[in-house]
Amino acid sequence: MMKKITGLFAWLGRSTRGHDFLFKGITTLILAAGSVVIMIPLAFMISTSLKDPAQIRSDANTLIPRKPVTVELNGERNPIYDVTMDGVSKNMAMIRKLPDGMAQFVDPSSPDEVLELSLKDQTALYRLDIHWENYPEALTAMPFFRYLGNTLIVTFVGMFGMLFSSSLVAYGFSRFRAKWLNTLFLILLSTIMLPSQVRLIPLYIFFQNLGWVNSLLPLIVPQFFANAYDVFLLRQFFMTIPLELDDAAKIDGANPLQVLLYIILPQARPALIAVGIFHFLYAWNDFYEPLIFLHSRENWTLAVGLQTFDALYTINTHLIMAVSVLMIVPPILLFFFSQKVFTQGVVFSGIKG
Amino acid sequence: MKKKLFKLLGMLVLASVLMSACGAGAAPATQAPAEKAKVVIFVGFGTGTDPDQVTAQDALARKFNDSHDNIEMEFLIVPTEEATERYLAMVAGGNAPQLVGPHGTSTIAKFKEQWEDVTSYIEKDSYDMSDFYGPATTINKYPDLDAGLPLGLYPSFIFYNKDAFDAAGVDYPTHDYADTSWNIEALREKAMQLTLDANDNTPNDAEFDPATIKQWGYADTWTDMRGQMTMFGAPTEGRPTSDDYKTAQVNSPEWIFGAQWLHDGIFKDHFIPDAAGQSAIDADTGDPFGGGHVAMWYSHTWYMSEGLNELPFKYDIAPLFYNQDGERISRIHADLFTMPKTARNKDAAWEVMKWLVAPEQIVDVCKIYGCLPARQSSQGAYLTYMKERYPGIDYDVIFTAIDYLDSPHHESWVPDWGRVNDALNNTQSTIYTDPNADVKALMNIANEDVQKIIDEYAGGK
Amino acid sequence: MTLFKPQKISLARREELAGYAFIIPWIIGFIIFTIGPMLSSLYFSFTDYNIIDPPRWVGLANYARVFSGIPEFIQTGDPRQLGDPLFWKSLQVTLYFACLALPLNLIFSFLLAVLLNQKVPGVNIWRTIFFLPSIIAGVAVTLLWVRILNPRMGILNPFLQNVLGIQNPPGWLQDPNWAVPALVIMSLWGVGGSMIIYLAGLQGIPTDLYDAAKVDGANAWHRFWNVTFPMMTPVLFYNLVLGMISTFQYFTEVYVATQGTGNPQRATLFYNLYLYQNAFRYFDMGYASTMAWILFIIALLLTALIFRSSGAWVYYEGQLRGR
Repeated sequence: MMKKITGLFAWLGRSTRGHDFLFKGITTLILAAGSVVIMIPLAFMISTSLKDPAQIRSDANTLIPRKPVTVELNGERNPIYDVTMDGVSKNMAMIRKLPDGMAQFVDPSSPDEVLELSLKDQTALYRLDIHWENYPEALTAMPFFRYLGNTLIVTFVGMFGMLFSSSLVAYGFSRFRAKWLNTLFLILLSTIMLPSQVRLIPLYIFFQNLGWVNSLLPLIVPQFFANAYDVFLLRQFFMTIPLELDDAAKIDGANPLQVLLYIILPQARPALIAVGIFHFLYAWNDFYEPLIFLHSRENWTLAVGLQTFDALYTINTHLIMAVSVLMIVPPILLFFFSQKVFTQGVVFSGIKG
Repeated sequence: MKKKLFKLLGMLVLASVLMSACGAGAAPATQAPAEKAKVVIFVGFGTGTDPDQVTAQDALARKFNDSHDNIEMEFLIVPTEEATERYLAMVAGGNAPQLVGPHGTSTIAKFKEQWEDVTSYIEKDSYDMSDFYGPATTINKYPDLDAGLPLGLYPSFIFYNKDAFDAAGVDYPTHDYADTSWNIEALREKAMQLTLDANDNTPNDAEFDPATIKQWGYADTWTDMRGQMTMFGAPTEGRPTSDDYKTAQVNSPEWIFGAQWLHDGIFKDHFIPDAAGQSAIDADTGDPFGGGHVAMWYSHTWYMSEGLNELPFKYDIAPLFYNQDGERISRIHADLFTMPKTARNKDAAWEVMKWLVAPEQIVDVCKIYGCLPARQSSQGAYLTYMKERYPGIDYDVIFTAIDYLDSPHHESWVPDWGRVNDALNNTQSTIYTDPNADVKALMNIANEDVQKIIDEYAGGK
Repeated sequence: MTLFKPQKISLARREELAGYAFIIPWIIGFIIFTIGPMLSSLYFSFTDYNIIDPPRWVGLANYARVFSGIPEFIQTGDPRQLGDPLFWKSLQVTLYFACLALPLNLIFSFLLAVLLNQKVPGVNIWRTIFFLPSIIAGVAVTLLWVRILNPRMGILNPFLQNVLGIQNPPGWLQDPNWAVPALVIMSLWGVGGSMIIYLAGLQGIPTDLYDAAKVDGANAWHRFWNVTFPMMTPVLFYNLVLGMISTFQYFTEVYVATQGTGNPQRATLFYNLYLYQNAFRYFDMGYASTMAWILFIIALLLTALIFRSSGAWVYYEGQLRGR
């Protein structure tokens, strides 16, 4: 097996133009197949966001939102079927189902003439019924722009604080030799090993005593003191940057801070962007902490607002999906455009060939 | 080296303790002497967090605040999923809300030790309880606790899909509570005729394929094991223990019969959806009946507040059937507002509680939450409102159902409420997922589990 | 006292101090926000604490509850002899999930990153698509997956039956034997997150290394194995450690998918779900804290082990050598 793979790579690696073309073709094919799998839940999400509750109830699996065509007869709404009789097709209303797959049909223009026909042989008529208004409804069911403002503050101020502090700390952990640093690093990592559920109550009491509950501070301020996830990732990347680069700068008289600013950070740009994106997503989608710490509704973030659509007896699936779709857009744009910086890559290793 | 580490740790602890101590010292300063007593109502354990309800509650608060000079009322909305954490955090932080609700029997049972007993308030004001429906005043009452004034009731009954009955040529269920022929066997017969696979075969047909069922005859959803067992009429009805809470009674003949009946209905007669079927019809719509997947759906009035809008078929409601012993025990829920013991401004909270269930407001409040007002004098106003909203339903079925409530209630307090219920719910899960389950053995094991939990509770762990 | 004579500080000492100086932001945050709640929970683990009333000291009782009954269990093989069978059940479920999900996630995301690092047309769009699942808020997606996986009305099983010809497709989340694999599939859908980290790592590999390898006549496989892979080990290491830690604390998806029950038949009673139930359903925060600290010790030991092993397989271009 291993040999086969090796052989395949060797063959592909011969990089003649034909092979190159084939290789790209195969890659694209795999990616396309994977994309379909990825997109299916998303397609359902968008589709559900355009249905009304009745459609979600009775017609959940169709992608295109639709509704049965109905007509009102004697105060009751009846579905219209395309009825075929003697080779002629005609639109008729189904007024009552009967045993053995039969049903009563009437022509809406002359509702007194009742026909009994097999239900299976007739086709129910549907019309396209897309509910764009779910989006404005979702946006007005909560103070959307207020929540968006809060979310943006929490996200971007937090992201700035995180990038600033985590870069410093990761630099400290990756570029200096000191007795306790390894132990301290393990302690740093250990802070994310204790399930957060058991820390929640003491943390809440702490923030309450500080008078921070019901402000955005508990979500923002801790970001300025680094965190294990981001420090660890940045440390890993910093450690792949050759020491020769630091040494060269030091010989030129750079102090450690300057080395960080002018050597390490530019080299680690892809990692910084990755960390920034992750933080953005975390802050953008997190509802658990905001819910516990933000009392009054004016301070809520979008993710918390989204939670209110999931009430006990009324699940506003259409609104949940509409807001979820809207909430995907900013991160997608951010990610798409950050790729430009992201993919520039690094050219020099600093190792003399 | 180790010494240093301990020194370091010691200093860290000291610093953190100092930090929180300073914080604690600063807190009272932020509270200006309030002229109005503030009453925060914590909404999240039950209904009330839907965006429409939030708006309506805000209007209610404005109405109260405009007419009261000394009390300010405010609804604190917490999404249901995280209500417990937030509530506990607030109580632990010494910041308990003045009122909690509306919520039902389970929330009272879960936190039973920490609700204020309102008996003394009722006595002090000589509050007239006679207008409330009898059951509403007893469901949430324990010898040592009367949790609050009744707000609303949610009786249960069977919603049935008339189109499905017509298509199967089956007679509609009776609406007559006295008709004893409407029993568990009659239910089974009707339900089997109403169960259809992809080819419209019923379980009575030889070629019936249970894997492709598209419509089930009967389902009882949104309730736990105790909720499903209570109708079978064990001596302690909805409670899995003896009166002194010392002996587990999960494997009573009535409960074993009920569990076996459920299992047979799911895997032998196929008229009740199994776990996969339940998840399919519940999926993300939460509405098996409205989706047309269940011909007879046993549920409560809360389904009416949202679910009955724009159903693509005709429907009505019927009483629950008589059980195997010729008894009818029809679950009921009763919602109310409660006061945490540790909250401040309890006198003001009592005033707000009274206001919310006063004859002038109770119908409006119940409209928000979808419950039937607990006051008999409000029946007319409520009926008018409901008939306008959902015409053509037999409302006598709803009001008569109140007389057949379960007592002890299926959500009533037992020692270590959560663990006992989860032990039972695990049995329920097995009944719904294992076609080969030995139901009697399962109930015996559940009985042992529950006995162990209540023994540990009695022994103080 | 050294403060007054900075010129006397040796170079090594200076490096040490600089290192500590840079991590000060974290140390301050750790002291203010982290250590208090952590130590509080350690204290709770020795108490009976229902969150509402003050904690009551019970010594090792909570720990005894976890570890009692083990000899009886070994003798009889009956898990009901254990002090708390559900504790062990939840540990077993979590380890089972970790054994499936962790390696699969590591491999899939790595392969995906390698594919998405090729110069294929529209690569930015492909990357965005594969990153999408990490963007979408958890609750909505989990609800959709519950529907897709449903054996009766979902779209996955008809696909397995009609396209792949699998006769009896599993019941997934409603089948005790398949519920954990179903959650693994759900987790694989979100490999885009780890993929991004690998991709960032791949971007960081200097191109001149490949040029040098080409000059030496290495084919694609050799270039992958001798350049790409070693350069990627720091990232692999990161994904392994964090993957392990987060898999042990797997919670949100299973909470939403099973409404917090861990059904069917407790087949998805994950460690953190059981911990959550203890804390916020049974109001036994003392016992929940005990569970949390046991998990903490397990995770810490495993992390330390992985760190120990890292010298043998993780390659850092900028590795500091000891003096």
